[in-house]
Amino acid sequence: MLLGGLSATALAPGFAFGQATNEIRIGAPLPLTGPLAPEGRKQKRGYDLWAAQVTKDGGVDVGGRKLPVRIIYSDYQSATPRGVQACEFLVNQEKAHFLFSPFGSGAAKAGSAIAERYKIPMIAPTASSVEVYDQGFKYLFGTFTPNSTLTEPLAKLVTEKAPDVKKVAIFSRNDLLPLSLANEMRKSSAARNLSVVYDEKFAIGTLDFAAALTQMRAAAPDWVFVGGYINDLVQVRSQMRDLGMKPKVLTMIAGPAYEEYIQALKGAAENVSSAAWWHPSVRYEGEDLFRSTANYVEVFKAAYNGDTPDYAEASASSAGAILQLALKKAGTLEGPAVRDALASLNVRTFWGPVHFGATGQIDSLTPPVFQIQEGKAVVLVPDEIKRGEFRFGIA
Amino acid sequence: MKTLSSSPWIGPVLALAGGAILAFGLPVLVGDQAYLLRLATQLALLVTLAIAWNLVGGFTGYPSFATAAFFGLGAYAIAVAQQAGWPAWSGFLLAAVLSALLAAPFGFAILRLRGHYFAIASLMLVTILKEVTTGWSDLTGGGMGINLPGAGGNPTAIATVALETMVILAAAALALSMIVAKGRLGFGLACIRMNETAAMGAGIDAPRLKTIAFTLSAAICGLAGATYARWIGYIDPSDVYDVMWSVRPIIAALIGGVGTVFGPVVGSIVYIAFEELMWRNLLTFGTGALGVLIALLVLLLPAGIIPGILRRRAS
Repeated sequence: MLLGGLSATALAPGFAFGQATNEIRIGAPLPLTGPLAPEGRKQKRGYDLWAAQVTKDGGVDVGGRKLPVRIIYSDYQSATPRGVQACEFLVNQEKAHFLFSPFGSGAAKAGSAIAERYKIPMIAPTASSVEVYDQGFKYLFGTFTPNSTLTEPLAKLVTEKAPDVKKVAIFSRNDLLPLSLANEMRKSSAARNLSVVYDEKFAIGTLDFAAALTQMRAAAPDWVFVGGYINDLVQVRSQMRDLGMKPKVLTMIAGPAYEEYIQALKGAAENVSSAAWWHPSVRYEGEDLFRSTANYVEVFKAAYNGDTPDYAEASASSAGAILQLALKKAGTLEGPAVRDALASLNVRTFWGPVHFGATGQIDSLTPPVFQIQEGKAVVLVPDEIKRGEFRFGIA
Repeated sequence: MKTLSSSPWIGPVLALAGGAILAFGLPVLVGDQAYLLRLATQLALLVTLAIAWNLVGGFTGYPSFATAAFFGLGAYAIAVAQQAGWPAWSGFLLAAVLSALLAAPFGFAILRLRGHYFAIASLMLVTILKEVTTGWSDLTGGGMGINLPGAGGNPTAIATVALETMVILAAAALALSMIVAKGRLGFGLACIRMNETAAMGAGIDAPRLKTIAFTLSAAICGLAGATYARWIGYIDPSDVYDVMWSVRPIIAALIGGVGTVFGPVVGSIVYIAFEELMWRNLLTFGTGALGVLIALLVLLLPAGIIPGILRRRAS
């Protein structure tokens, strides 16, 4: 009997055809279980906030009609092949008009083939590596700038403020985004005659970094650059402290942008520098439904018990806001028309100015460089939103 | 029934013919339902891996967890070969040969262990290969993964070819499994499963037969990995060396009936059906519910579905 009920509901999506134009159906495959679950939940919070705001505004304007939004979630259990399957399921069975991509560069890259096949515009809120966008696909759009836009301003800032920084250590998780960041860091270092004295990778899931860090300490770097995700970076930072390593500059991407990183490390987070695609302290005015960064942060706080949004959550909300602007411009839900509207979009939003380059990756955003000072992330670059000066040394 | 089973070749030939009909008939029948094609491909993949596992885990009684190792090796073999400009068929050949070449000495060594010890040793191979693949980034791209050339081609064509290859591979594996079960190898393996010491005493060359079974199984897994890589178009170490590639075939075989020829096939169908049903309907508890269902199945039909039916018929 249980099975009978389940199979009845399993068949139900097949009858979704008729109501297709009465609502905007967006498929969102997310890693809601498995190792990427924290990231997946962040993305979900961002989407939900956008959808709730749309409902409050009475719907999305499409060709003079106000249509409600329905986000159809699917858990792909942090496994990329299942993420691809989820994309196909959402388009083919759930009749989604649009897709928000799976989390991260690898899964977005794999899933984008489905979007391309069905001519379904896909917005990727968490894929930055250029390798995701160089496949010649027309239906994939990304809200993260290439990784070089994170390392370049950092390298520029550090070499300007501290000309005596000469030796760089690069340490990265053996994973698509961190490896790509390490690559860019190598290029940025070479361009400024910084010598890379240590360059290693660590395996996904590593907990003990002592051996690698001891080796790194022997190379006496002035600047340590670590690429990984929040759990890795908290471990690396606290083990550096245990080993008494005090490089002049310590940069970590992509953990310090999260409030959880500062909470976990307290004093040890001080003066750790980083860069992210967005930060709640940036100030943009926009034509989107959130109108400005300040207002977005307020709406977010009100919805989630005072939590401050980070770039992952904001990027997810921006994916919705950007799609909404494109729908208004296209005036239809037809995939190819919305795709063209997205490709030619040139608007200001709470996320920043939005314009997609030829490959579909955003090219109008300047990611802020920031540093943890007195337990707060303080923006140092770009100058328009600068809140403090670079500080050297770590605890 | 008696006449059918009298010739050892009729079963395998029927399996291959059925596989060919399915492989080329399915795309015609449900070609416009891309998602169904995908599910069918996934089912054929699981059937293949479950049959391959059954050769070692079922017929011989050695619970191997090395399926993911050979699956990943096959996937990487074809990916690297295609990047070097080799034609597809040679990539498949390389996948099968490499897996077999690795399996033969490794199997010969670890098949001396039994029970839990063997299981752990076989599991280690997955970890070792994953680390080697991740570390050897000049060849494999490391954590960046590999894009298979041609992956951006016509997606419907890719999906159809993947289904055809996978179903034929599954049918071939089934045919092989029938031949093994009816032949001297299967008899020897059954003796080993029941009492290895007695089998050795009776003159059965247990180390050799076990290694042959392990090697055959590995070659099939390698081919399955290669087909998978060409189908998905992008692989990275944590995807193809995922231990779930080892675990799911075992569950499928357990559901259907370990050590029977058709158990892995029936078990895979039941497993995929349940998995799909749970995943569709329960957003975050899908895997948990699947686990509960599997536990119930194993409790109600401890020997698996096929032996359960046979026993009922016998009584």
